[in-house]
Amino acid sequence: MFEHLINGFGVALQPFNLLIALVGCLIGTVIGVLPGLGPTATLAMLIPLIFSMPPATALILLTSVYYGSMYGGSTTSILVNIPGESASVITTIDGHKMAMQGRAGPALAIAAIGSFIAGTFAVVVLTFLGAPVAEYALHFGPAEFFALMVFGLATVASLTGTNVTKSVVTTCLGLMISTVGIDLVSGAPRYTFGNPFLQDGIDFVVVAIGMFAFTEVIITAREVREGTRAEVVKAAGIWVSWKEVVYSLPSIARGTFFGFLVGMLPGAGATLSTFIAYNLEKRICKNPELLGTGDIRGVANPESSNNAASGASLVPLLTLGLPGGGATAIMLGALMMLDITPGPLMFEKHAGMIWALIASMYVGNALLLILNWPLVNVFARIMTVPVKYLMPIVLVISTIGVWSLSYSEVDLILTAGAGMLGYYMRMHKYPVEPLILGLILGGRMEQAYRQALIISKGSNLVFLQHPISLVLLIGALLFLFLPTLLARSKQFYMARKTSVEAA
Amino acid sequence: MVGMNAIKKKITRTQVEGLVILLVAIGYLWEAQNVPLLYQVPGVPGPTTFPWLLGIVFGLSGVWLLVSPHRLIARLRKEAADEDEDAPEAPAPSGAAFWDPITRDWHFYTIWAVILGYLVLMPSLGFPVATALLLAMFVSLLGEQRWWVVAGLALVATTVIYTGFALGLRVRLPLGVLEPLVK
Repeated sequence: MFEHLINGFGVALQPFNLLIALVGCLIGTVIGVLPGLGPTATLAMLIPLIFSMPPATALILLTSVYYGSMYGGSTTSILVNIPGESASVITTIDGHKMAMQGRAGPALAIAAIGSFIAGTFAVVVLTFLGAPVAEYALHFGPAEFFALMVFGLATVASLTGTNVTKSVVTTCLGLMISTVGIDLVSGAPRYTFGNPFLQDGIDFVVVAIGMFAFTEVIITAREVREGTRAEVVKAAGIWVSWKEVVYSLPSIARGTFFGFLVGMLPGAGATLSTFIAYNLEKRICKNPELLGTGDIRGVANPESSNNAASGASLVPLLTLGLPGGGATAIMLGALMMLDITPGPLMFEKHAGMIWALIASMYVGNALLLILNWPLVNVFARIMTVPVKYLMPIVLVISTIGVWSLSYSEVDLILTAGAGMLGYYMRMHKYPVEPLILGLILGGRMEQAYRQALIISKGSNLVFLQHPISLVLLIGALLFLFLPTLLARSKQFYMARKTSVEAA
Repeated sequence: MVGMNAIKKKITRTQVEGLVILLVAIGYLWEAQNVPLLYQVPGVPGPTTFPWLLGIVFGLSGVWLLVSPHRLIARLRKEAADEDEDAPEAPAPSGAAFWDPITRDWHFYTIWAVILGYLVLMPSLGFPVATALLLAMFVSLLGEQRWWVVAGLALVATTVIYTGFALGLRVRLPLGVLEPLVK
């Protein structure tokens, strides 16, 4: 393993890959700072650029943007009270209070330190855990893989959005879109309505750019017209005292640990991990009443947690080929476009690429610390670039991204449709991530389903006869129904209670 | 007006969505029948096995949105708290027209129209012209009134993006109406 890792460093430290990692970290930080533009939309926009790159380099670019965005999100949370990413919402509670008390410097410094510790921890665990998990998953047959994907989609559906039924609807819609095109087994055209452009199927980049990039442009444009943007607090110094670091260390450790655990679960993601870690922190730590008043632990904890979670989400992605959210789903799609079949075989077949990626994550975390700590005021100033100039440019670059896929007008029209549907979905609480996930996983899921049925001679019971697949399917059901049942019974209970009281 | 409100109270947006989802599911399953079954081997799942599974789950979710007890809970709540969360529309002030939100949000709808127009017309109009127009319109819709800023940004950004992508990254961007000029 260490031999692999050293070889990985050899690739990651090549000047071009180092440059790409640096560029990725910079882009990540910038989009982390910019409210409105999230990592998922940015990754979708970057996809057309990576075709000309070797797979390892492409993957380094995408992942460095992804974990880099977690660093930048805290900056605006602390200095402006506007979270750059949803994963930094919790950071505003204590972070901005610290800034108002003139302690922006320590807050930013501890966010960078916590992020570095958590990010590095996540890579270390990935280093040791990745290959064994992948090796275990090699025993999976088609039935197990189908059940695994059902489990992944079910957790994502259960944890994103407020209404599980709506999440199931969008997951199914994504899977249904994935069935458009020529069936790879029988060669039969499906849902093409005679249009030759649809025979290759609908590219996920087209849908992802429409649903993430275009809707973000429109939503931000609306905010720009309706609201004003807050003033940026300038951080005088960016040093933190040793005493405060020691004081925050237990919170960083807990944030890292819980963040990693939550982050491994598909669908949970960085944002949920910060909420869970912060709530647990309030119960575990000493003097919990200080949290929320500008306590430095209130910055250290969520910032460590979101970085640990974003690193952890790469574990199921790289070992099982199972993405946990929008950003990792797009990475998976990118891998498939580069002709790499995601899944446990990646560690065997593309060992060089995987270990180069892991090595580059060590490098990237160090780069981010070096970049972010001294340059934080420079990044914060990006906030003052008026969004009204930036958003139309994002729009144009997204359009080029779609156009460059196959130079087809149909793609542009499909993007427009995806944008409108995505806007409606985001306005009316239909989560977009499950749709993208379904669209990307659909092909492999159908393949696993049909292979399993061929082996079982057409009997659907095969999914219940294999123990691993049975456990995964039960887990999927639990995830789908438990929150609903709990919420419903509580709602029913409360509704009945209040009605009785009112009577 | 009263009649409209009564209908609105009976049907929530979620139920309409549920109905639409159900109809889409039926259409999807119907279209599955039109998939040609080439080389069908008995006992081997064909190209429509998976779509059938999806269509049924999708349709059932739509049915659930249509009939779920969500509204019942909301009504119980309403009876308790004397306010309805599920049907938030207050009686519109008299004289408010149907298109009131449209006139209020005309900027927003115009932005949508500009974006859709850009996506549809870019290939024929050509990237440089379409992009310059899009940038100018978008920035002015977002409140920029100084014409030289609008024009400058549109021209400079278009040139930079075109140079970067067409010459730097070799993306084939259509010249459209500018084609005769180049030749």
